[in-house]
Amino acid sequence: MEAIAELREFCFTYPGATAPALREICLKIAPGEFAVLCGPSGCGKTTLLRQLKPALAPHGTVSGEIFFAGAPLRALSPRDGAQKIGFVLQNPENQVVTDKVWHELAFGLESLGYDNRAIRLRTAEMASFFGIEPWFRRDVGTLSGGQKQLLALASVMATQPDLLLLDEPTGQLDPIAAGEFLAALARLNRELGVTIILTEHRLEEALPLASQAIVMDEGRVLCTGTPAEIGRGLRELRHGMFAAMPVPMRVWAAVPNTEPCPVTVREGREWLRAPLRRIAAEEPAPVGEPAVVFDDIWFQYEKEGPAILKGLSLRAYPGEITAILGGNGAGKTTALMVMAGLRKAYRGKTKAAGRRAALPQNPHTLFAANTLRADLAAAPNGESPQKMRDITALCHLEGLLERHPYDLSGGEQQRAALAKVLLTEPDILLLDEPTKGLDAKFKLEFAAILKKLIGKGVAVVMVSHDIEFCAGNASRCILLFDGAAVAEGPPRAFFSGNSFYTTAANRMARHVLPQAITAEDIIFALGGEA
Amino acid sequence: MRQDSFAGYHPAVQLLYFALVLGCAVAMGHPVCLALSFVCALACALRLRAGGRRQLLWLLPGCALAALVNPAFSHRGATILAYFPGGNPLTLESILFGISSSAALVTVLLWFRYLNAVLDSEKILWLFGRAAPGLSLLLSLSLRFVPRFAAQARAIEEAQRCVGEEARGLLRRARHGMRVLSILVTWALENAIDTADSMKARGYGLPGRSAFSIYRFDRRDGLALFFLVFCGGAAIGGAAFGRLKFHYYPTAGGAAPDLAQICLFAAYGALCGLPLILNAKEALQWKRLRN
Repeated sequence: MEAIAELREFCFTYPGATAPALREICLKIAPGEFAVLCGPSGCGKTTLLRQLKPALAPHGTVSGEIFFAGAPLRALSPRDGAQKIGFVLQNPENQVVTDKVWHELAFGLESLGYDNRAIRLRTAEMASFFGIEPWFRRDVGTLSGGQKQLLALASVMATQPDLLLLDEPTGQLDPIAAGEFLAALARLNRELGVTIILTEHRLEEALPLASQAIVMDEGRVLCTGTPAEIGRGLRELRHGMFAAMPVPMRVWAAVPNTEPCPVTVREGREWLRAPLRRIAAEEPAPVGEPAVVFDDIWFQYEKEGPAILKGLSLRAYPGEITAILGGNGAGKTTALMVMAGLRKAYRGKTKAAGRRAALPQNPHTLFAANTLRADLAAAPNGESPQKMRDITALCHLEGLLERHPYDLSGGEQQRAALAKVLLTEPDILLLDEPTKGLDAKFKLEFAAILKKLIGKGVAVVMVSHDIEFCAGNASRCILLFDGAAVAEGPPRAFFSGNSFYTTAANRMARHVLPQAITAEDIIFALGGEA
Repeated sequence: MRQDSFAGYHPAVQLLYFALVLGCAVAMGHPVCLALSFVCALACALRLRAGGRRQLLWLLPGCALAALVNPAFSHRGATILAYFPGGNPLTLESILFGISSSAALVTVLLWFRYLNAVLDSEKILWLFGRAAPGLSLLLSLSLRFVPRFAAQARAIEEAQRCVGEEARGLLRRARHGMRVLSILVTWALENAIDTADSMKARGYGLPGRSAFSIYRFDRRDGLALFFLVFCGGAAIGGAAFGRLKFHYYPTAGGAAPDLAQICLFAAYGALCGLPLILNAKEALQWKRLRN
């Protein structure tokens, strides 16, 4: 069958850059394929994806050729380019442009000059396929992030593209919304045969959907094939990209065996054999003076409004990472705001021993200057060269100080924002979704920084959806539901006690290793080396 | 507001209706016309939800004041009822004129209340957007931006407070505000790149852009439009031929009542009462469907 998209020895260099961003890419995407493009941040996957959409292709030096449905992509008219190739960006806030849901759905069709009748039919089709009907006439501003992203997808699909490109579409979504979004993509691919190319950090859910996976690094395609073939390929290469792969693949790669590579949790369960080593129980938590005390906290935003926190009691200790988990609307972020002193509880007792500082969910809200150095210097205590040196070393910002904060990658921005917050020398550090949109490598670096901080006796409180990150790094996990804490404990006890709200590793291994909560645990128990 | 069947009509029909009704309420001084318009406006405004109804009560004292002020300052008219202590006459005509002008004022206010409920901002935008589709798109984009900016400004302000940027004292508060604004602008510019990409990716800028409208012009809209043109034309035509003339000074009086005038009143009443007719028809239909 003729490929819908094909790259032949494609190279691309940004203007003024010395090294090419894409090197000799050869790829073939067959019609109806679901391709997942993965690789560490800065590997060129976004650049590659944008080259496939002429309207968004960055300027630069190009060699080689891209073919779309057999013809050179260069020859595609702008009208066909807009209609036949759909592109969904990462940030739902920014890519939804009009104020009404129905207008957003119609936007692409309006551009193509369809008449009212045709647009009415197409928007109706899209609304019913994606389940948008109940909020068809709503203001976009009243939608949740997940709904906005689904709307962005639906409005791209309204022009009925043959090829759908998505650049980390779930990066800004919580796990439930991300799961729903990926399910909608799978349905598009399965039921309508739309060819999909997706770049993604959330490989745990995305990779099992893929008919073809493409791993990139440093502008090259490292290997392509089915997810299982990728697993084998990466194992042979001993590549660092494995840290981002789904748990079953990581465990499989670290334990010597000759069986085919499992991709989903179910395959992982089937593959799993009897453990060789026992996982030691956690040491009991140290009993010290708590840094943060919440006693029966009640909170609501408006006098007539619903209560958000309903008798929340919790403790956070110095030298520990306390993770607050829970679904949307459970009151996690509100609890953090009360802790930061931004909101006052109307009933109950709060105590915070020491200086507090909070890292906001979006690092952009912190940067005020044109270079990172100037930005940090303007922060409290930033004028002291000694402190500046300590903090930049702690957050690995040495090479980045002269850059504009906006030019940094997501993970670098997160570290820069953390540095700015740490300059205030807090005793209590509050983090709101610190791992949102970060890739596996940056998460590891971020965790290492947090470990150093708690070593110095800082109390870290983190609100997160990222179960895997909390399982691997938190000292204590608290599950919030309906404004109150319903479960609390050290991660191993916490997650192994839950059946649904738990990590992929625990779900995969709980029938033989109920205490295992991370891939490392399973690898250790099976006698492999991480 | 309760379910209003007129609110479901095409915005163009609604716009024409309110233009006619408001124009006539101001221009037609005949007491019968005023009374018809006032009663219909009141009935329509009463269809609003309870909170809106309570606010209507506030109109009464204002209305009474307007009616009292005229005879106190205007002493024209032939029928003298009494004399003020200052020696000025109190005339029947000035009282009548005061009542009629305050009734006109209240009627207009009532119509505006109903207009607000029926013709919401979205429809008004759409109506004006018809004249210039580019402008309407721009408005739609801006309406999306404004709440977003507000939310972002709040997030920035809170984030800055969390890293110890305290805003105490006038000078520091001003500096704090400037910093928030500067961050907001930088962030917005950065986001605008994404927004522009999203628009370009969906073919924005291709020649021959169309403008989708969610409002459909049905047969019933056509009928209502015809009805409005007919009744409105009759009322305006009648007024143009002097059949609805009325004067208050020196004595109150108007064109002699005849069959033609009664027909004109009927047409005007039907024009003002269109929403009531439609709602009554709907209510009847429901009743019949239930049985």
